[in-house]
Amino acid sequence: MYSETPLLQPIVPGYHLRILSDDQIVQLKAATLDILNDVGVHCPSEKALTIYAEHGARVDFEKHIVRLPPDIVLEAMSHAPRSYTMGARLPAFDLYLDGKALYCATDGCGVETIDFETRQRRASTKQDVATMARLTDYLPSIGFYWPIVSAQDFPETAPLHELDAAFNNTVKHVQSETVMGEATARYAVEMAQVVAGDPTVLRARPPLSLLVCCIAPLAQDNEGMESALAFAEAGLPVGFMSMANVGSTGPATIPGTVVAGDAEIVSALVLIQMAYPGAATFHSFMPGIMHPRTGAYLGTAWEGTLLYAIGAEMAHAWGVPTLAGVFGTDAQVPGWQSAGDPASSLLLLALVGAETGSGLGLLESCTLLYPEDVILDSDIYHRVRYEAAGLDTSPELLALDVIREVGPRGHFLRHRHTREHMRKRVFSELTVQPAQEGGYRDPVDVAREKVEWILENHHPLPLEDYQQAELKRILQSAQKELG
Amino acid sequence: MTIERPPIEPIRSAFRLRFLDDEQLNQLQEATLVVLEKVGVRFPSRKALEVFAAHGADVNWQTEIVKIPRDLVWKSLSTVPRYFRLGAREVSCDLQLQDGVTYFTTDGCGYETIDFETRQRRASCKADVAKMAHIADYLSSMAFYWPMVSAQDYEKTAPLHELDASWNNTVKHIQSETLMGEVPARYAIEMATVISGSAEELKRRPLFSLVVCTIAPLIQDTEGIEGAMVLAKAGIPVGFLAMPTLGTTAPATLAGSFVVGDAEIISAVVLMQLVAPGAPVFHSLMHAWADPRTAAYVSYPLDSHGRCAPIDIAHHWGLPAFGGAYGTDSPEAGTWQAAAEVALDPFLIGLAGAEFVTGIGLSGTYTLLYPEAIILDDDLYHRARYQLTRVDVSPETLAVDVIQNVGPAGHFLAQSHTRKYMRDAMKRAITHQLDAESHYRNPREVAIEKVSWILKNHQPEPLEQAKQKELARILAAADREMK
Repeated sequence: MYSETPLLQPIVPGYHLRILSDDQIVQLKAATLDILNDVGVHCPSEKALTIYAEHGARVDFEKHIVRLPPDIVLEAMSHAPRSYTMGARLPAFDLYLDGKALYCATDGCGVETIDFETRQRRASTKQDVATMARLTDYLPSIGFYWPIVSAQDFPETAPLHELDAAFNNTVKHVQSETVMGEATARYAVEMAQVVAGDPTVLRARPPLSLLVCCIAPLAQDNEGMESALAFAEAGLPVGFMSMANVGSTGPATIPGTVVAGDAEIVSALVLIQMAYPGAATFHSFMPGIMHPRTGAYLGTAWEGTLLYAIGAEMAHAWGVPTLAGVFGTDAQVPGWQSAGDPASSLLLLALVGAETGSGLGLLESCTLLYPEDVILDSDIYHRVRYEAAGLDTSPELLALDVIREVGPRGHFLRHRHTREHMRKRVFSELTVQPAQEGGYRDPVDVAREKVEWILENHHPLPLEDYQQAELKRILQSAQKELG
Repeated sequence: MTIERPPIEPIRSAFRLRFLDDEQLNQLQEATLVVLEKVGVRFPSRKALEVFAAHGADVNWQTEIVKIPRDLVWKSLSTVPRYFRLGAREVSCDLQLQDGVTYFTTDGCGYETIDFETRQRRASCKADVAKMAHIADYLSSMAFYWPMVSAQDYEKTAPLHELDASWNNTVKHIQSETLMGEVPARYAIEMATVISGSAEELKRRPLFSLVVCTIAPLIQDTEGIEGAMVLAKAGIPVGFLAMPTLGTTAPATLAGSFVVGDAEIISAVVLMQLVAPGAPVFHSLMHAWADPRTAAYVSYPLDSHGRCAPIDIAHHWGLPAFGGAYGTDSPEAGTWQAAAEVALDPFLIGLAGAEFVTGIGLSGTYTLLYPEAIILDDDLYHRARYQLTRVDVSPETLAVDVIQNVGPAGHFLAQSHTRKYMRDAMKRAITHQLDAESHYRNPREVAIEKVSWILKNHQPEPLEQAKQKELARILAAADREMK
């Protein structure tokens, strides 16, 4: 017996905004092209270097430096699709990256968990990935799932066990940020094939995608690039993320860091388009600002959040969708700070037309899982979703006749129009729960209870038995080869 | 040794968003005109009714309902100034209302305080008004001051004592929301004239303004409207604040509630222009919701979209908009809810382009003062201020040369460009204050400390002694007359 997964509620903005002017975009793109041509990017993968060289890049095979002339970059990027579908196990949960909606994922790759039962802090496990996949399967705010923590009980094959836990517990699209290296990537593709059922479906509605981190400044990761090539070959979407840090791995100015990060991302996107023209790719710029006293990466400094929206506009300027940075607080417990950080940044991203964003549910700069935090973040997500939507002023809603009937000094409580429309007003499930002693309950307590309720009551449609068995078999082979 | 008061830093948004399109605005305006013509508004004031009758409005002396023909509405509104100046004791703190600049104030009229010393909850008093004026005087986010709580130790003359406490503790503009009736209005003008030096100077640079609440649906308050008429004649800016509640005092639809609130505001604005053509007036509509289970007033349901739409409505009439922000329903400051509900507000209202906005610093739906809340809200304000700033893209900030110097896999720490810009690169939020072990401190504790620090180190420029005495004399006279 399984329970139905509630339909997704992406943020569909009724308004639009541009942060960068056309002139600024031209300037920023020109600067990226300059860097790619003059400075180049470090790429330690022989396979990648060969592809670059075959397509006209200037490659220094000794120093592993690739320099890309502007026409080569522009030609390669011209093949990248601006919109495509990221599939899910069930078609109703497919994501259409067409710029009309913003879909958000959980955060990912946390290393510690506040235990669901004991509330003690401990290292994260595969079971946490599974439990959170099931929890977020129920939440309409979550459009796709990033394995939210690391399956540390499977050291060598953790990324594949995270996929197993995710595919078995949510019908939604899964995006990995940990699959690294060609061998691991091939196992991951094989698992995605099992979920999709046949190769045509895998390409048309890929249930899995991959995000690869670049290394700032201006470097690619060997394993990351090779797994990206394997995914792209199979038709699975791949994206590249720069996490340049203003002042340490990027210049101390915002446009400078945008250029350094953008060059990393574009150099990788170019590689994928050279190897597999037309492959589904995305651009992800999630910079931080260095704390001047500690050197720490801060995602939520006063000026920091503007950077994410700029990243989204740069993605669009290159003609690809974005994976934007949303939520991801530096707070240590759910509270004022974790709530104050994300809202305006999320709204801004929706208004600039970001297609996807990650992610909800982690604290301590994306490292610590509090199970209830995803519920709290979802509440903020919905506030932004409603805020971004347009406003209806049709005659029925203007209610002129109703106002006439009631007139000065009356009240609207008994009117049919009130009864009908009051039901349509949406109140938070967290903040307006009456307490027995009067007033309202603490929303954080309500969120904790909601976690328990969902885990007790929601059991999404499982994979077919043969699919489960097949995934197990693949994991065993991987364990033998990689373990 | 006192610390200098930082200059006021309003939100100067580089971006603008319209929440209603022209067609919707015309629809709403037409609905308001129909309500004013056909339904009317109740003015329980003989003086106000006489003014309306003398100008050809349809006055029912029995029901005290005035129906205002649209021609009279348009004629009256033709004398409204689109922008005006709010004067301050210190000229550099004068606020010239203008396009693209948004000034914020504190919240006001709370009736309980968490005591500054004992942290016990108690009734608010005049000393609280004074202390919070002192703090607001220091904060760059606070362009003007609403007496934050009620001076309940001075029952009937509380509004005048609130003005006295404010003028004695901040050089910024003061806006009252409690001054009601002709007699108190005359005393307030007398107090302001003492500070200004003359009635002409007061008119040129009005040191205070008034916001008067209308009563939903479609009623004016006798004392409120009569006090406003006195002030309008003296050149003191007056605004009208409608607070329709969806489902009880207004239809259960947003558009319907806007019509009710807008008709109340416009009817009062018309009266002011009839009494004193050209009087500075402003428009303020802050709708709320009734909790369907308890009928309690809720400021922040999950779906609170359209919060900023009334700003467009005000501008469509050619009136300055006084926006509503903050005012969490959270019973405590510094909680998850206190940030989740309000964090979007300064950002949205800056985008909408309200000329001025209340109000920072109260909890429990505008009733309870935690002294530290003003610091926490101030932090959210500045986040929005930075987000709405246009990015500076120039050869110097693009830093292509610097990126070239560093090259792939280097770092930017040793660059002179980094040293030059790092000072400005990170604006440290309240959430990124370090303790002795370089861990981030609890933002609420930082805020509590900052309140004490400001009270200890910042001394607002006092009123001249002769003026202080004169204010005390006026208050004594008012206490005698109004007891």
